Amino acid sequence: MNKLFDLRFVIGVFFLLVGIILLGYGLFASQPAAVNKWCGAIFMVFGIFMLLLSVRKPSE
Amino acid sequence: MNLNLNGVDYLIIAIYFLFVVGIGFLLKKKIKTGNDFLMSNRSIPLWITSLAFISANLGAQEVLGMAANGAKYGLYTAHFYWLGAALAMVFLGVYMMPFYYGSKARSVPEYLKLRFDEKTRTFNAVSFAAMTVFSSGVSLYALAILMQTILGWDFNLSVWIAAGVVLIYIFLGGLTSAVYNEVLQFFLIVLGIAPLVFIGLDKAGGIDGIVQNVENAKLHLWKGMEHASTNPMGVDAFSLVFGLGFVLAFGYWCTDFLVVQRAMISKNLNAAQRTPLIATFPKMIMPAIVILPGIVLLALQNQFSGFDLPRNDAGDINYNMTLPLLLSKIYPNGILGVGLTALIASFMSGMAGNVTAFNTVWTYDIYQSHIKRNASEKHYLYVGKATTVVGILISIATAYLAKGFNSIMDLLQLVFSFVNAPLFATFFLGMFWKRTTGHGAFWGLLSGTAAAAITHGLTTAEGKGGWLGNMHEYYSGTSQAFNIAAISFIVCFVVTVLVSLFTKPRPNEQLVGLVYSLTPRQKDSSKVWYKNPFWLGMILLAITLVLNIIFF
Repeated sequence: MNKLFDLRFVIGVFFLLVGIILLGYGLFASQPAAVNKWCGAIFMVFGIFMLLLSVRKPSE
Repeated sequence: MNLNLNGVDYLIIAIYFLFVVGIGFLLKKKIKTGNDFLMSNRSIPLWITSLAFISANLGAQEVLGMAANGAKYGLYTAHFYWLGAALAMVFLGVYMMPFYYGSKARSVPEYLKLRFDEKTRTFNAVSFAAMTVFSSGVSLYALAILMQTILGWDFNLSVWIAAGVVLIYIFLGGLTSAVYNEVLQFFLIVLGIAPLVFIGLDKAGGIDGIVQNVENAKLHLWKGMEHASTNPMGVDAFSLVFGLGFVLAFGYWCTDFLVVQRAMISKNLNAAQRTPLIATFPKMIMPAIVILPGIVLLALQNQFSGFDLPRNDAGDINYNMTLPLLLSKIYPNGILGVGLTALIASFMSGMAGNVTAFNTVWTYDIYQSHIKRNASEKHYLYVGKATTVVGILISIATAYLAKGFNSIMDLLQLVFSFVNAPLFATFFLGMFWKRTTGHGAFWGLLSGTAAAAITHGLTTAEGKGGWLGNMHEYYSGTSQAFNIAAISFIVCFVVTVLVSLFTKPRPNEQLVGLVYSLTPRQKDSSKVWYKNPFWLGMILLAITLVLNIIFF
């Protein structure tokens, strides 16, 4: 089997995307909920962390 | 109870579906042989196999069922983790994995063939294949019913969309795709449910609020275990330790190919050994994600209205709605989409895990062994893909069967539990007693399975069992299950020993690498503690002990 893609990158993109949606919805919805803002921010941080891992230390 | 989703919630669900299918497409070109499709070419990194190991077990039964048990039994449910998982996972990593991985077996049934004979392997392979494919159908049925109940979605729509998505990503990327998605699903389940625990805990008044509002009997692990009538779980310490902690836990974690397969696709033996060990770390903190919501609900029920669980048609409290109820009461739109996606992910993870295990066992242990022995790798790739389609179709048929005849599912699960219960005795004797013979293993397994069925037929609990008579009534169905497992294990063990003593054993030289006493010890040169399976195991056992003392 050929070298596989880096799963950390895919997971990072997924959580970054969902984090942006949650944060945006938490900030701009007609009835903003604090939990969306916090969770959005945490998801984004986790997503960026996974992306950085995939860039800084390539998978074996 | 009804969850009102909006556009953002649906968008998050759609993105999740897009990513899981996308992973399948990304892997499509990498899958060229049957070995790639069914065994991931034994090339998956350790962190992925470890998270997949725990995630394969993180199906709907775990996520919904443990929250339900948390509400029903309280902290006692944590025994399924700190007694019923940690010890067995350490044993698998330290003692059993060298035989599974070192023997080059591609599946658990194949190890039985190498150690014993073809008939023992076939018995295990056929029962396991049937069990996994029907379990996959049960997951599908449960998902569709839940979506119908809480979202009003059409049953057919849920069944076909979920089955279709799982089919696409397994068909394209095989086991690797299932494993990669399991890792994504793991993070999604943890990050999607953790906020629910924090918010719920805060609303309930924190730990003090839990202590003040939940009956004390549900906040301990071992209190009242001297007798089945003095604890909410309805079990005594002996049946808990022997039935759950030894027989069921070791039977599941050490012999169920669904989870063991995740370790068998590691890059090397050391990684295969460390897979279950590293998985044990997150496993030990999972009660905070899956059991605590149930306990939080109990505290909320005592302080606020609207947190009462619905009742089923028979008028009993439907504990399975614990997590959906909390989602509907605590999560606003947005994060609600994430929580619901986490639930869907748990169902799909359970289903995909079953289908991939079914693929491998069918292709290697039944098709290659009995139908076409020496075909090309390309041929087995096609068989694996065809088996995926057939497995998904059987799952769908099972879901519809369950919809029409709900009791059939109970019966199927019961029969499977009879088959599973004695299995660890066979493996234990096979790996640690060189005198064990193929005839002993086969008749031991059959006798253990029969003993499980007869014990169920002669005992009752919560109105179930007793179809042969009623010799004893247990305090709970959980207690009955633990005792059935214990009896079937003992019967399998004794019959295997007796038959083995009267039949001819295989020569020692054929058992090297398969039996503990005949296999040279591999001296682990790694001095770093986190790379040494033994020391990792010791640390895990110490943590397990501390957790049991803290929550005694």
